[in-house]
Amino acid sequence: MIVNFLTYLRERPVFLKWFLVSILAFSVVYDLFVDRQHAEFWGGHLVGFWAVFGFVGCLAMIVFCKGLSHVWLEKDKDYYDK
Amino acid sequence: MTSSIFMHPATMFIIGALLLPLANKLKIQKIWLVLIPLIAFIQIHYLPESFGRVEWLGFDLQFGRVDQLTIVFLHVFTLMALIGSIFGLHVKESGQHISAWLYVAGSLGTTLAGDYLTVFIFWELMAFASVFLVWYRRRTKSIEAGFRYILVHTTGGLILLGGIFLHYQNGHDLSFVAISPDTATLAQYFIMVGFMLNAAVPPIHAWLPDAYPEATVIGAVFMCAFTTKTAVYVLARGFAGFEALMILGAIMTLYGVFYAVIENDARRILAYHIVSQVGYMVCGIGIGTEMAINGAASHAYAHILYKALLFMGVGSVLEMTGRSKLSELGGLYKYMPFTMICTIIGGIAISGFPLTSGFISKSMIIAAAGEEHQIIIMLMLALAAVGTFLSVGIKLPYFIFFGPNDCGLKPKEAYWNMKVGMVMASFMCIFLGVFPDYLYNMLPYAVHWHPYTAHHLAETFYLLGFTGFAFYLMSKYLRPHDVSNLDVDWFYRRGAGWFMWLARHPVSATNEWVSNVYRNVGLRFTMAAAKALSWFDWEGIDWALDGSARGVVKGGDQVRQFQTGKLQHYIGAAVALLFIVLIVVVLI
Repeated sequence: MIVNFLTYLRERPVFLKWFLVSILAFSVVYDLFVDRQHAEFWGGHLVGFWAVFGFVGCLAMIVFCKGLSHVWLEKDKDYYDK
Repeated sequence: MTSSIFMHPATMFIIGALLLPLANKLKIQKIWLVLIPLIAFIQIHYLPESFGRVEWLGFDLQFGRVDQLTIVFLHVFTLMALIGSIFGLHVKESGQHISAWLYVAGSLGTTLAGDYLTVFIFWELMAFASVFLVWYRRRTKSIEAGFRYILVHTTGGLILLGGIFLHYQNGHDLSFVAISPDTATLAQYFIMVGFMLNAAVPPIHAWLPDAYPEATVIGAVFMCAFTTKTAVYVLARGFAGFEALMILGAIMTLYGVFYAVIENDARRILAYHIVSQVGYMVCGIGIGTEMAINGAASHAYAHILYKALLFMGVGSVLEMTGRSKLSELGGLYKYMPFTMICTIIGGIAISGFPLTSGFISKSMIIAAAGEEHQIIIMLMLALAAVGTFLSVGIKLPYFIFFGPNDCGLKPKEAYWNMKVGMVMASFMCIFLGVFPDYLYNMLPYAVHWHPYTAHHLAETFYLLGFTGFAFYLMSKYLRPHDVSNLDVDWFYRRGAGWFMWLARHPVSATNEWVSNVYRNVGLRFTMAAAKALSWFDWEGIDWALDGSARGVVKGGDQVRQFQTGKLQHYIGAAVALLFIVLIVVVLI
């Protein structure tokens, strides 16, 4: 049953895209109504700080790690056997 | 004393392990495998505060010391032993179970130890039992990785032992209690480095992602739980509040997650991710406040369960398909939906989704860093949480179970016992998320922290949602490639190669040359010297000896001339001599 359901979803990428967008929209709306008294530092007082942090952090991490791997760390599987 | 031996939960596992072959022969191995961890899990609730005190060779040893910090680790260790043993029920080979249980015994023994010598004994038991979980995979790569693993751990053990000796020399006291950062000397730092090696703190972490992916399926499930978390326990016990640990811990969280983003082998991703997760605990210990220590202990508890769950999920895929590389997998959700659901539960728990165990434990450490105004540390931990969701929460299940292409395999679903193990761990991940007080009540200090605040929820929604968005945009670039990535194990793996090269070429060549020189020059010189000595022997010594012998013969001949053989000549000579003597005496 779950397999059929997942296959059904996989065949509808546009729906999945809008689902993701709606989750993001929800998190923004939710944030607007949150009490920020207990924030640990200045960033916690800004609306959307953690959204930008998560998004930019994630992109930067992918670019940095994949780039570093590509130019330096990546070796053949039998690198140590040679 | 006898009764306190049997009171010790490690004894249960050691005896259980030794009797396993018998249980196998009697065909009750499966019952035995459930029974022993179950008894141990119940037993730890009835331990007295102190037991098993022994005086040995003038040392005060304490095999059992139980307090709030001990109990939370004992609880999760025995629970994990039960889940792991159930997950491994289908493995008929007793050897794997024996090494797993001896390994658990080492871990429990270390946790309960009240002095450094006992810590050391069980510490070594852990290393030597767990290496067999790698070797039992029987592939050449596993054998090699196992040897590297045991060599690194032996080195760490020796550093620890050196620290213990120095520590004993200073105070003649081996009791294992909290050390203040102000009074720590070289001895204490040696002990700390020994502990840090097992906690896989970079740059002494490479043994972990090297060995764990090469272990057997059930071996990896056990290994991911015990070595690093025992190290977290001993660090929390002895070294809370050391600032170095806070900084190293924060670096660890990012270091591990960076590699998890680029790695291809699913179990290597998880192994690197242990480094990241243990980083949170090490950082919490370094912060050292009550809340941070609570966070470290609760994160250890939660982490053992969801990381074991992930290793079980990926292990099931490996067991059923023989593959663990993301580049060789994909589309398995059709054939292993049960494993998929459990792996995803592990993935969302480790990412700290609300209503899972990661949410209630990780946040405590991050908030503790915030409360101490360590903003950079806090942001590093938050960034590592982003990377966690990216690498283990999305990338790993996506490329195994869905992915851009189907791998074409049609594996069967995991065995029933594997499913039971996964269900138990999944249940705990969600149970702790829904009822955090179950865990909070076990922690060393009273908990004044409420994870489910609107502010904290908003932060989590943002971090997770926008990480997911970034993955959606970049999934093309994250597609795994079948390569291996360099890490600091390069130094000893390449170093060993160079050492062998040195031994094979320059050292061997020098040896050959010296042999040749000896054969050509040395031998001739020796022969010439022998000839010279021989000549001296003939011409010098013999001449002298022969000469003196000839002298004696000649003297004898001359003396013989005086001997006439007539008695009256001898008597006359004697009387004459007597007469001369008398004259001399009288005159003088």
